[in-house]
Amino acid sequence: MIWIIAWKNIWRNKVRSLVVILAITFGLLGGVFSSAVMKGMAEQRMKEAVSRETAHIQIHNPKYIEDNEINYTIDLESQRLAETLDTLPQVKAWSPRIRFLAMGNSANASTGIMVYGVLPEKEMAVSELWTMICDSCGTYLNGEKSNQIVIGEALAKKLNLKLRSKMVLTFQDAMGNLSGAAFRVCGIYHTNNSVFDEMNVYVSKVDIAHLLAMDPDQSQEIAIMLNEGDELDLVQKELAASFPDLLVRNWKQIDPVTGMLADFLDIYLYMFMAIILLALGFGIINTMLMVILERTRELGMLTAIGMNKRRVFLMIMLESVYLSLTGAVAGMILGYLVTLYTAWTGIDLSSLAEGFKKLGYPTMLYPYLDMKFFITLTVMVIGIGILASIFPARKALKLNPAEAVRTD
Amino acid sequence: MNIIEIRDLKKIYNDSEVAVHALNGINLAFRQGEFTAIVGPSGSGKTTLLNLLGGLDMPTEGSIRIDGINVGELSSRKLINFRLNNIGFVFQSYNLIPVLTAFENVEFIMSLQGYSKEKRKRRAIELLEAVGLGDRINSRPSRLSGGQQQRVAVARALASRPKFILADEPTANLDSVSTENLLDIMEKLNLEEKITFIFSTHDQRVVNKAHRVVKLEDGKVISDVTTQSP
Repeated sequence: MIWIIAWKNIWRNKVRSLVVILAITFGLLGGVFSSAVMKGMAEQRMKEAVSRETAHIQIHNPKYIEDNEINYTIDLESQRLAETLDTLPQVKAWSPRIRFLAMGNSANASTGIMVYGVLPEKEMAVSELWTMICDSCGTYLNGEKSNQIVIGEALAKKLNLKLRSKMVLTFQDAMGNLSGAAFRVCGIYHTNNSVFDEMNVYVSKVDIAHLLAMDPDQSQEIAIMLNEGDELDLVQKELAASFPDLLVRNWKQIDPVTGMLADFLDIYLYMFMAIILLALGFGIINTMLMVILERTRELGMLTAIGMNKRRVFLMIMLESVYLSLTGAVAGMILGYLVTLYTAWTGIDLSSLAEGFKKLGYPTMLYPYLDMKFFITLTVMVIGIGILASIFPARKALKLNPAEAVRTD
Repeated sequence: MNIIEIRDLKKIYNDSEVAVHALNGINLAFRQGEFTAIVGPSGSGKTTLLNLLGGLDMPTEGSIRIDGINVGELSSRKLINFRLNNIGFVFQSYNLIPVLTAFENVEFIMSLQGYSKEKRKRRAIELLEAVGLGDRINSRPSRLSGGQQQRVAVARALASRPKFILADEPTANLDSVSTENLLDIMEKLNLEEKITFIFSTHDQRVVNKAHRVVKLEDGKVISDVTTQSP
């Protein structure tokens, strides 16, 4: 019966309760939607980083990472790596890459770039980069002709290159000699990360191995895509244990900025929501103190007739929790609906495009929140409701019933 | 048989700079089924005596035994439970819970005692009918007159099957018709059900109905007259 009385009590002063509930509703709406925008942004960035840039796992010769010397390679055959990767059920696809620094030159300019020599079919199963080439921007490496190159739009602009333009790469081969070759631009990709687009180019592994005087079976990098991202730790550990001489890193280690975002974003969002809830908590405390003051006589009567302290405390606490929860549920539903709507339409931030692209963020945002966030938020709201009730409830418990029943 | 025995009861308030001697050695006993009015001028100690009898305050000296239990020796937790199961309260300003109906107000105290919903329902309706409010069980206090609210308060006080009912100036806010009506109901309950009532009052109409009148002055009993034994 105390549960029902507590619920009825919060509607005694409808205007005051509605003001508090609306404050909580809009506080939560703002908090949920902002969190959804941040989470959506981060999720998109993480997905794009994995699917286009890093893959889930990369394997290198540890010495290669130290000084980028192309002779520090991985031999797929002798180390049974290919066999292992083909048999691991969690592995969706893997791609061996030759990877080296070179100078990219056009008739107008030159710049330092990272060249990836890839086997197109294997690479296309690992990286979605080929989908980032628009219909009028050519094709991915198709093996029809030798010395094809796929470059990013930002690099094309920088070097003033167009589709089918000639680009000359100069680099040091495996023997330490300066070497170079002309490549024909067969495709121009465009991702949301302009820094990535400006830096990375893709050529055929067979073509480049020959130019580098390398065995085409050798690679500097193996990129691995998994069926499920949450199997990452398991597969990484298994590979690291099977190949102790190789460096097995996950995408968070390869791209620590994005990795940190993935690891700390949830904590940051919960802290953000906790601050909002804390501010709202003070509003609830204020309201509940008013309630205690107004109902001194009634609370005195309840204690006088035999309602024990535990029940008085429970009643005050329930009123506080009901107030918080009513506002919070409304705020969360509204926040969810706004998130759902904007996730469907997207939020166009093209006016901020340049800054966003330099950081690798998309200009079209799709807010996103998972159920875990809502469940945690509900628990936090109940917690704040309980915390906010403690001070007013303690005041209620200190009332002297003999004096309280005579209060005007 | 005495259900309440008061021995050398003293109450001194030290809240202000000067100690206030509200009760100065009261010795009284109340028997089952008495209908007693405690009268006296303002400041004579009526309310203090009722507070001590109801376990809402603790005596400075002396003792109050209810059914042999020394109320002053109970811990605050046991005292609340003791009040719930042994004492009914009727207050001057009704003190009903405004968000509950008449029925729910009466039922509430039984829910604190842990009675089943069925038992609570049966007794609440029975009591509201006994105080003449059988047709207003679903009305909230704001829809009832002062007299009707005080009758709900009497029904609530009876609901927990207390050993006695303490009523602190129960007619102070009522008009003469409502006062008459309330007193008739309480007298009927006293005569038929042997419910023990102890009032503090200034109201001569209550005094006229009482079967025993205890007069206080300066915290002492100056007269104790029984006109009708239970």
